[in-house]
Amino acid sequence: MDMKKILLILFVSTLAISCVDDLDTKPKVDLTLEELLAQDPNAVTGILSRLYGSFALSGADGPGSSDIDDDAGESPFLRGIVNLQDFTADGLKNRWGDDGLDQLTTATKWDENNKFFRYMYNRIYYTIPQANNLINVLGGVEVDNKSQVEGEVRFLRALAYYYLIDCFGKGVLATEENFGQSTPLPEVTRTELYNYVESELLAVEGLLPDTNSYGRADKAAAQFLLARLYMNAEVYTGSAQFANALSYAEKVITGSGHTLAPDFLQNFSGDNHTSPEIIFPLIADADVSQSYGNTTYIVNGSLSGETMTLSDYGATDGWGGHRASKGWYGLFAADAAGLAASSDKRAHLFWTGGHAYDMESYKKWTDGFPSIKFRNSAFNNPSGTNTSFSSTDFPLFRLADAYLMYAEAQVRGGGGSAATALQYVNNVRSRAGATAITASELTADFILDERARELNFEGVRRSDLIRNGKFTGGSYTWPWKGNTLNGTSIPDHYKLFPIPQRSLEANPNLTQNTGY
Amino acid sequence: MKKQIKNAVFCLLFLASFGLYAQQTVSGVVTDASGSPLPAVNVVVKGTTTGVSTDFDGNYTITAANGQVLVFSSLGFETQEVNIAGATLNVTLMESASELNEVVVIGYGTTTVKDATGSVASITAEDFNQGAIVSSDQLLTGKVAGVVITNSGGAPDAAPNIRIRGGASLSANNSPLIVIDGIPLDVVTPAGVGNPLSLINPNDIASFSVLKDASATAIYGARASNGVILITTKKGTLGETKYNLSMSASFSEVGEKIDMMDGPTFERFINEYHPTHANLLGVDGTIYNTDWQDAIFRNAVSSIINFSAAGSLEEKTPYRISVNHTSNQGLIKTNDYERLSTSLRFNPTFLDGDLKADINIKGFYVDKNAIDEGGVLGAAVNMDPTKPIYNDNSIFGGYYQGTRIDGGQTVLDGDWNPVARLMQRQRPEKLLRILTNLELDYQLPINGLRAVLNVGLEKSTADNREKYVDQSIATYKVERFNPGEHFREDQDITNKTLEGYLAYNKDFDGFLQSLDAQAGYSYQNFENDGVKRLYNYDGDTGGREFQELDPYYTELNLQAFFGRANLNFEGKYLVTLSVRADASSVFPKSNKWAYFPAAAVAWRLSDEAFIENLNVFNNLKLRLGWGETGQSDIANIPGGGYYPFAPFLQIGSSTSQYLPGENLYNALPFNDELKWETTTTINAGLDFGLFNGILSGSVDVFKRETDDLLAYVPVPPGQASASSLIDNVGSTESEGFEVSLDVQAIDTQNASLNVFANGAYAKTTVSNLNGLSLIGAGGTLPIGTGTFLLRHALNQQAGAAWVFRQMYNQQGEPVYNSFADLNQDGVITNDDRYLRPMRPNYTFGFGFNFKYKNLSLRSSFRGQYGGQIYNAKRLTSGYLVRPVPVNTQALANVLNFYTGAANPIIYDRNGNVPFSDYFLEDASFIRCENITLGYAFEPLTNGTQIQASLTVNNAFLITKYSGQDPENFGGIDDNFYPRPRVVTLGLNFDF
Repeated sequence: MDMKKILLILFVSTLAISCVDDLDTKPKVDLTLEELLAQDPNAVTGILSRLYGSFALSGADGPGSSDIDDDAGESPFLRGIVNLQDFTADGLKNRWGDDGLDQLTTATKWDENNKFFRYMYNRIYYTIPQANNLINVLGGVEVDNKSQVEGEVRFLRALAYYYLIDCFGKGVLATEENFGQSTPLPEVTRTELYNYVESELLAVEGLLPDTNSYGRADKAAAQFLLARLYMNAEVYTGSAQFANALSYAEKVITGSGHTLAPDFLQNFSGDNHTSPEIIFPLIADADVSQSYGNTTYIVNGSLSGETMTLSDYGATDGWGGHRASKGWYGLFAADAAGLAASSDKRAHLFWTGGHAYDMESYKKWTDGFPSIKFRNSAFNNPSGTNTSFSSTDFPLFRLADAYLMYAEAQVRGGGGSAATALQYVNNVRSRAGATAITASELTADFILDERARELNFEGVRRSDLIRNGKFTGGSYTWPWKGNTLNGTSIPDHYKLFPIPQRSLEANPNLTQNTGY
Repeated sequence: MKKQIKNAVFCLLFLASFGLYAQQTVSGVVTDASGSPLPAVNVVVKGTTTGVSTDFDGNYTITAANGQVLVFSSLGFETQEVNIAGATLNVTLMESASELNEVVVIGYGTTTVKDATGSVASITAEDFNQGAIVSSDQLLTGKVAGVVITNSGGAPDAAPNIRIRGGASLSANNSPLIVIDGIPLDVVTPAGVGNPLSLINPNDIASFSVLKDASATAIYGARASNGVILITTKKGTLGETKYNLSMSASFSEVGEKIDMMDGPTFERFINEYHPTHANLLGVDGTIYNTDWQDAIFRNAVSSIINFSAAGSLEEKTPYRISVNHTSNQGLIKTNDYERLSTSLRFNPTFLDGDLKADINIKGFYVDKNAIDEGGVLGAAVNMDPTKPIYNDNSIFGGYYQGTRIDGGQTVLDGDWNPVARLMQRQRPEKLLRILTNLELDYQLPINGLRAVLNVGLEKSTADNREKYVDQSIATYKVERFNPGEHFREDQDITNKTLEGYLAYNKDFDGFLQSLDAQAGYSYQNFENDGVKRLYNYDGDTGGREFQELDPYYTELNLQAFFGRANLNFEGKYLVTLSVRADASSVFPKSNKWAYFPAAAVAWRLSDEAFIENLNVFNNLKLRLGWGETGQSDIANIPGGGYYPFAPFLQIGSSTSQYLPGENLYNALPFNDELKWETTTTINAGLDFGLFNGILSGSVDVFKRETDDLLAYVPVPPGQASASSLIDNVGSTESEGFEVSLDVQAIDTQNASLNVFANGAYAKTTVSNLNGLSLIGAGGTLPIGTGTFLLRHALNQQAGAAWVFRQMYNQQGEPVYNSFADLNQDGVITNDDRYLRPMRPNYTFGFGFNFKYKNLSLRSSFRGQYGGQIYNAKRLTSGYLVRPVPVNTQALANVLNFYTGAANPIIYDRNGNVPFSDYFLEDASFIRCENITLGYAFEPLTNGTQIQASLTVNNAFLITKYSGQDPENFGGIDDNFYPRPRVVTLGLNFDF
């Protein structure tokens, strides 16, 4: 019996060790904020890096990972900017015919189910709550330069909201105060969003440093975004703000210390981080910062081994997708020979060999000239290593744009000096080798064309056309606008994209844009 | 009367062989306990095929020698063996309800068929499928109503995809819980293992119990929403040692290939439709004729050897030991699979029999060469058939490979040669796994009270490598090769189980006749610790360099307290009550625990006088059950995993850095309000046995509702740290019924015929999505990226296809890119899409076992009625401009338009074409799972019994589907590893 008793005691005690605490499992690879800060006191910068990266990377676990529940390759923020701003406009077309992309490239039949709108919308509303979260996190930790870091976070949040205002026109106002709230937020208007972003940027301007380390926002970045916001204020709110636009463009031009790069191409090459012109880049690196949605999309997408030599542009992969149309290179010359003969170096940045000038079919690779403005080869050492991902940073804000904004704001009654405006435009032109223009030539229409010559493929074209009343309607057409070869009128409600169906379902307070 | 005629026939047959054994005439009368004569009792001389039946008055006469043994058997009676000692031998047979008394494992105990209150199906060795059985799920396929096992293809360890009653969850795991000898199977499948059920030797399995309704499964609470499969392995027995040796050799071939064009047909097609590209045919003017599918497939040879010994040590301790070697060649070249497994089981008793121990040790070693299945199958379909497999001038190890010149450099062009892909890559995936458990069953000093403790430990170590040989196409870059190791994964899994319970069993006099109760505690911990390493081409060194280290660690902890009482009133009214409190580590602290009660009643009608008097039913039982079960397995849902409840930060991978010089840290999305998904099931069932067991079966109807579904759903934009989160959303409702029938059509001493059939209907509808009307349900179409076919939509079957209605012309041919304007608004938009259910509502299985003397013939069939399959090969290879090269100089093969495999009217696949219901086809089918012809030789003088068998698995398939195989778990038929047709020769020795 003794033996039995011992066994019984053993048995019961084993049961008693009901290791309830084991239910609180903890990951080993992932860390809590406290653990992370203990391990790396500089961790907050790492979280900030991730927030900056949300505009270029698809996810934090390699180019195949996605922060949002959409395709990692197709959905990155920058890829969305190019798709929505450039392919919908006059200068660039994509030929893949993926469901949804055709509709963008022809500006027809796009609807709330188009996945590319969803990608953009989801990316915007990924960055915003990440920023809200980080602002809350900052409240509870000790960091050097806390107010500056907070300024950077708020700048990035304002940048995401800027694209919401520009592309979709309304949404919810998610801030650090309502972060984590599960009841759906109310919808706010474009004007309310505009006012919020304006006030944020004005506040942030004071928090940001005069200069910052590469890739991070400084004062000029906030000022530039304010200038861009004011430039389009009439579209966004109905009330023009060209005087403010001019004054903020001027702040960037005169106060930031940036100068035009001596060579236009320096801004779009693999070593463009050395360009003095770029105010705010989206970083890419072939080894450590890989994404199918950073400049890799622009560079590889514009190349094809069928007609081009990939290694000439530092690339190993050509996806054969994007070509410019005569809506862009037509502003330089009426044929390939004319482009080659132009004194404007920007006219040379089209691959013409084996390609037709006219884009009879936007789906045919050899119809239309691919743009070779962006390339992965280094400006200073063009025969370096070829890589499948791009190392070229995307110049989201650069000085030439500020020059042209100043000029346009001036022409549109924003005050300032007409002579300075002319000087700025001619600075941009002469840097590219183009002839200088006279004061009488400096019109809003000319500036719009100059912006195309200078800034196409840089994610601003659709906004520029809308601001100039030329995106919708039939007064100005381009190849494949409205899905016809020579272009046709498209409806006015296309100035805004539809709110994605999935978002409407996820928040019943959201309403669809008029016309959809 | 019919039976007597049959008996007469068999008597004649018996007489024909009479002379061989005639020694002495033995005769007598067989009666039942009340003294009534029993007709049609089988009387057989043991160990021979000599036998007779009793006549209407119970009389028999047989010839046998003194000392031989006569075996008296009859359905519904206990079999009796009597030594012959004289010319007259009268026998009284005792009535049995042997089948009804069959023990059924129900988790933390057993019951009998007679006393079971829930929907429980028990499958024992004699019901198992035959043939080349590599994994244990194959034993069960098609045998149980409402249990659908769809393997993911013909690969040697393809995942089985088991669904009981269709599955209750939307996104969470829909697989049943599998418990082997009391130890629940891991939530994680070890790296490189496709089928977790291949990690138990099928030959070690004694029986399966399938628990279908909640009253039966609730005792397993947490992981039981999708049913439970209990696997019991074989044990040793007291008595002399029995040895078993079984060997089989199998020969597999591909059943149906995809109907692609051959070389000459392709040449004709290109000249006819794409003449400007005819210059790209062949190589340097030579047109070859390569069947690329034949090039990657092989006639595979496999073998299985089992040896086991079962007996007892010193006549006291039963043991069983077994060894298995399985060598299985996949249909695709180099896809080899080899397994060595061993098991050891001891059942010693201590303390005068009060303490019973069950010691179980199982070991496995698996070595397989994994192939890039999708890539190889895809390339075999795409490759231009006018190209050769080999090319003497090739720099790619002698394999033909398309190239073109780019910037003065030779670069790869078109698909990679699929044969080279197989031969130039090695991916050994090795696994060592040890599974041990010790169960102690202790009779406490209180009468009827036992304490049971079960401790289990599972360890597995996986070592997967991938490397490329010299000159391999995959490593060609910038006119150089960079062969070597490409990938490596090392993984350690440690799982611990501890379960203890007290069991009380007491019989009473009076209304309550017996009480059987258990109460206990369960602890399980699953740890998965590993690291992946990736080596890639390095632009600077030109070689293959270590690129990325990706460590992972997950831990899951499940704990529970449970109790159950089985009450038996008057032997006729059975009541089961159970409750379980479950906790899972994946939920936030406040929501970790949940409670799952269940209750069931059963009424043994056949023990009521008014039924007994009908003299029709030997068994009739009505069952009614209700219960709740839970679901917490969200490991494979995006945003789920193991730690979804709290904010954690992840270190960005080496390729996902951003600001120069800073480590990137990513805040992972989380949901701190996550809670258990709960399923409530009501089940009503009727078990019946008629005409002394000649016809038996059961019918079950059920209704099930799952609430707080765990799914990955969009959140209001901007209000959480991701656009979608794992959350508790909405509900599904399921209903269905199951019927199982078993007919003992013939049962004589020489011949028996058993016919079985089962059918099930199960339908799951989404009944609530928390305000959403439609959420994504996956179903990636092989076009571009992010193109999903399936949706979960309100009031529709879960996972329905969201498609356009294709328009057809008067000849019945599809009109290219033309769809019905369902809402008649003049434009084709997503509003014109409709939802078509994909899953079949009806599934069935049937078959027979026929024995005549030493010969046996058995077969089983299974299938489904309804359901849809998306013929994705028509999408990838069935449109007119498919071969036209884009950015390449390689032509791609197409489905054979000339035989109607696809329709050239489908010009391309842009726009809405992929979402046309043209690609959906009826997935109904009947498959002959196996046919086995067996022969049992007369026992040798030393008692050795030898059986030989010839089995054809997957003998044939009846379907209207135009593609390869409609049985497809995901419903999208693309790059499918074909299921082989297998012929197996088997030899079995018992000695």
